[in-house]
Amino acid sequence: MNPRLLLKATGGLDHEGKQVIKADSTAYRILAEWVRQVNDPHGGKSGMKIAVSAQDTRSFFDGVAMLDNRKLMRRITLSLAGRLPSEDELAAAQKDGVKAVGPILDKLMKEDAFYDRLAEAFNDIFLTRGYDGVPETALSYDNFEKTRNWCQKYDLKIEDKAAQQKARYKLTDDYREAMLREPTELIKYIVRNERPFTEIVTADYIMVSPYTARGYGVYDEMREKFHNPEDPFEYLPVRLSALKHRNGKVQESATSFYPHAGLLTTFQYLRRYPTTETNRNRLRARMYFQFFLGIDVLELAPRVSDAAAITAKFKVPTMEASECVICHKTIDPIAGLFQDYYDLPDALFGPRKDGWFKDMFVPGFEGENLPPQDRWRALQWLGERTAKDPRFATTMVEHVYFILTGRKTLLQPKSLDDPLYDAKQRAYRAQRAEVERIASVLVKNGFNLKVVFKEWVASPFYRADTRSPIANSPNAEQRQAEMADLGIARMLSPEQLERKITAVFGKPWNRLRDKQIAMLYGGIDSKEVTERAVDPSGAMGALQRIMSNDVACKEVSSDFALEPTQRRLFPGIKPDVLPGVSTENDQRIRAAIVHLHQLLLGQYDIKENDPEVDRTFQLFAGILEDAHARKGIEPQETYNCRGDNEKRLPDPDYTVRAWRGVVTYLLRQEAFLYE
Amino acid sequence: MNNKSRRDFLQLCGLAGLGVAAPVWFPTLSRAASEELAAYDGPYYVVFNAAGGWDTTYLMDPKGINGINRLYKDGDILTHGNHKFAPTAGKFQVGMSNEDFYAEFGSELLVINGLDYSVNNHSPGARYMATGKLDSDAYPTFAALAAACKGPTCPLAFLTFGNYSNTGNLVAMSRIPYLPSLAKVANADSIEGNLRMPYEDDFVVDRIQRALKEQIDQRVADTLLPRVERAQSMLYAAQMNSQSLQRITPFIPAKIPKERLSQQAEIALAAFKAGVCVSANISIGQFDSHNNNDVDQMKLIPEFLAGIAYFLRRAEELKIREKLVVIVQSEMGRTPNYNNGNGKDHWSIGSAMILGPGIRGNRVIGATDEKQFAVPVVPDTLACDAAKGLRIRPEHIHTELRVLAGIADHPMSKKFPLGVVEKDRLKGLWGAES
Repeated sequence: MNPRLLLKATGGLDHEGKQVIKADSTAYRILAEWVRQVNDPHGGKSGMKIAVSAQDTRSFFDGVAMLDNRKLMRRITLSLAGRLPSEDELAAAQKDGVKAVGPILDKLMKEDAFYDRLAEAFNDIFLTRGYDGVPETALSYDNFEKTRNWCQKYDLKIEDKAAQQKARYKLTDDYREAMLREPTELIKYIVRNERPFTEIVTADYIMVSPYTARGYGVYDEMREKFHNPEDPFEYLPVRLSALKHRNGKVQESATSFYPHAGLLTTFQYLRRYPTTETNRNRLRARMYFQFFLGIDVLELAPRVSDAAAITAKFKVPTMEASECVICHKTIDPIAGLFQDYYDLPDALFGPRKDGWFKDMFVPGFEGENLPPQDRWRALQWLGERTAKDPRFATTMVEHVYFILTGRKTLLQPKSLDDPLYDAKQRAYRAQRAEVERIASVLVKNGFNLKVVFKEWVASPFYRADTRSPIANSPNAEQRQAEMADLGIARMLSPEQLERKITAVFGKPWNRLRDKQIAMLYGGIDSKEVTERAVDPSGAMGALQRIMSNDVACKEVSSDFALEPTQRRLFPGIKPDVLPGVSTENDQRIRAAIVHLHQLLLGQYDIKENDPEVDRTFQLFAGILEDAHARKGIEPQETYNCRGDNEKRLPDPDYTVRAWRGVVTYLLRQEAFLYE
Repeated sequence: MNNKSRRDFLQLCGLAGLGVAAPVWFPTLSRAASEELAAYDGPYYVVFNAAGGWDTTYLMDPKGINGINRLYKDGDILTHGNHKFAPTAGKFQVGMSNEDFYAEFGSELLVINGLDYSVNNHSPGARYMATGKLDSDAYPTFAALAAACKGPTCPLAFLTFGNYSNTGNLVAMSRIPYLPSLAKVANADSIEGNLRMPYEDDFVVDRIQRALKEQIDQRVADTLLPRVERAQSMLYAAQMNSQSLQRITPFIPAKIPKERLSQQAEIALAAFKAGVCVSANISIGQFDSHNNNDVDQMKLIPEFLAGIAYFLRRAEELKIREKLVVIVQSEMGRTPNYNNGNGKDHWSIGSAMILGPGIRGNRVIGATDEKQFAVPVVPDTLACDAAKGLRIRPEHIHTELRVLAGIADHPMSKKFPLGVVEKDRLKGLWGAES
């Protein structure tokens, strides 16, 4: 053993680094073991016990049961297409199990609803809708000053001034919405056409609609290609010509085209992540690493003994101080690749007036300098290298995991002294192995992102549902920690909950579309609030109660007003069926409850004698018992709970309101409000 | 409350990650629809955050030398009791001067100067200042930890309006961007919030509550995966606790102030007063003055101080002023020199201000030297001593904040150790009253 190395690390020698690890820590034991192995690689066995697990032959999913296949199908269709599974899909899932998932997903991923979800989900990641200013300012004044405000003077061919004003507002709103959608339309186009997903950093085109094409000044050349030139949201790819400044100068380009590099060069993306004279594109570099290579560079920020002293000691700390160089050596070359998107304050297109900074590491990528001849297409150069980087594939797999689960993949545990370190490390390794496996499938399939969705939903990480009891196991705490991140248990976002209500009841609730209410329910604005709430606050709990009360209020009475064959909620029962009167009546009530559990909660395998059905039955019967004991109860449904333009439904036995109570109860449950 | 239901609730809280500390109040769950949870009665914890990095030399750590400040010289520096501060009266358009702020609050203010943030990037700095832990993104903020330990049944236990707000999965985070939106959800069992128009008869609500309770009672003993188990418990607690939100409506002001900090303050104060909230992050941004430092800081610091003053005065009106612990902070300081754009860049040394019950005011702990470097502090005496002292870092302050809040030994706090050994603790930081 080399005591000198250990002494240094523990502060036992006069050394600038001072104490880094404690003598009784796991880190110390690991270092001691390493020293021992270096000094005596073929020597005796280590006497140290190190809290890093050796090979573990147990299956990670031992004792974990997977989700029922019909429930899995419901989870998939609701999550990715905002609809309930069809009877055929449920039958296929029941017959073929997980094998049915692939073919059904193939079809589902052709539905428009999937692409709406895809756009929403990738905006949760890239947040491109959240840039400052009105959307058309993504088109710079210097390059698009004559076209970007086209809708202000567009001839609407409407004489009446008030009507014209209203139409112009609509035109402008649609134009702005179309501008905001462009980056995620690129993603939709790539996935829909099964193009390599690497195109999000390499595509030599952008997506434009008839409205945004006018903003770019390319509408005339595109007009014939649009299926419906009046549709603000029909998108087609287009390659822009090299940008022309209003002073007449044309952007340098060897191809005469704007050097598109997927998202990296879209103006919305650049505007969402702007820069300043002191930031020097470092925010853009940071986001590049996070979005495309899965690295949070600021998480790596090391603690130094005196950051202020280092800042003051060196003229250019980011190039001279080792504590700073460690990150800036990697970050600053990427920042330099964005140097032609620096015309402040907008920083959309145009180089820095005084030339790029000399006190930064030169533009490049991972040690390779940008060749001068590629300067005009620097972000294309970056995109090409990004696409080849193995971290790109794993990062895209992680993005899809985030879309499906609402959370990021696990980070490697850091604290070696954590008594649960082994368990956490095992969970991390198991999940990491799955990420890397799926990434290899992605690469083998030409970066077709659809395969990642298919792989994840078939993966036990997506299907894990219950576990066998472990309370009396000697390793219960360790096993509990290993399983801590298993299971979806994702609270639905306001958008997802609205879609689910629509899917289940056939019409939306709409209250969660209100921006203020959506924010209260944990939504995001893509700008200041960028992460969705993962746990319900009391205010959200109140909204859940309002939703369950209100939806049940609107839907139960309306459903009973229909002919039984047309009913969605109560197709097999009439309001005059009372419990406790006959066995037959009770069975019919139980059958109706089973139907509700299946429709609302997706409990396809539930039986009429299931304890959950018992509880719901008791609720229904109990409400009626209380109602019948109460004097003065109105013999008709509440005025506010009648259907649209309908009369109040007669309810002499209180059964309609009791069924409403049942639906309210079911809508408040985790099986409805979570995924 | 009876023992059985109390045990049930403790079990539920533990499963929800809400910890094993006994909540002070407890509902009879089967009657929860008609019985309110008792109000949380303080202390309340408020973190005012100057996001972007404030220039402390224009507030509580004045210099006026070595070109550090262009708006005043060292001879212009003012004092109030033991405080020194930069003169700002007449140097801004809107807000509150340092002179007025110290005159009103200096006697109860504890200032910590020479605070070493250790990094000079926004994200890690914000994380470090909010949690006391630099190298982990799993730790809860102090505000979230206090909420989880002291008021897990409060429907808005932890309110946040920005800044780093990680909860450590201990408590749900509440974002209430608009005060009127809160009024809309205060009476969830009534149509449009009108108490005279309930959706259901009272016995129906009661039956639903009981059925939900029975269901959760059965499931906690089930074989659910930990995440699922936690989600069900959190959901049940959120819905149950939300019933006490109706207490907030009397405290929603008829007139909503225009100032951004005052709006946040009104929401937090209404929630505190109603007893449905333990802690709040209040935050404004744009302090990152890389360009035109003095212009920006002289706009923002007065706005910030005015917001704090508004908050404290309104708390006085609501009679909860004496229950407020207020922490005023930022994620970094600004360099002692101006850059070519008349701005100041990131600096890893800064300050914090704290006031509230148990904190003796009119004191300044720590210092920076003439070049704005941190001067170490002897933990036993809190005296500045470059040779024998240690650098005050966020974990030192957070360790003492946990003690001040009485949560240092709470199991949830122990899940997130800060690693400050006893000899390095800042003895007597809160003064004789602590």
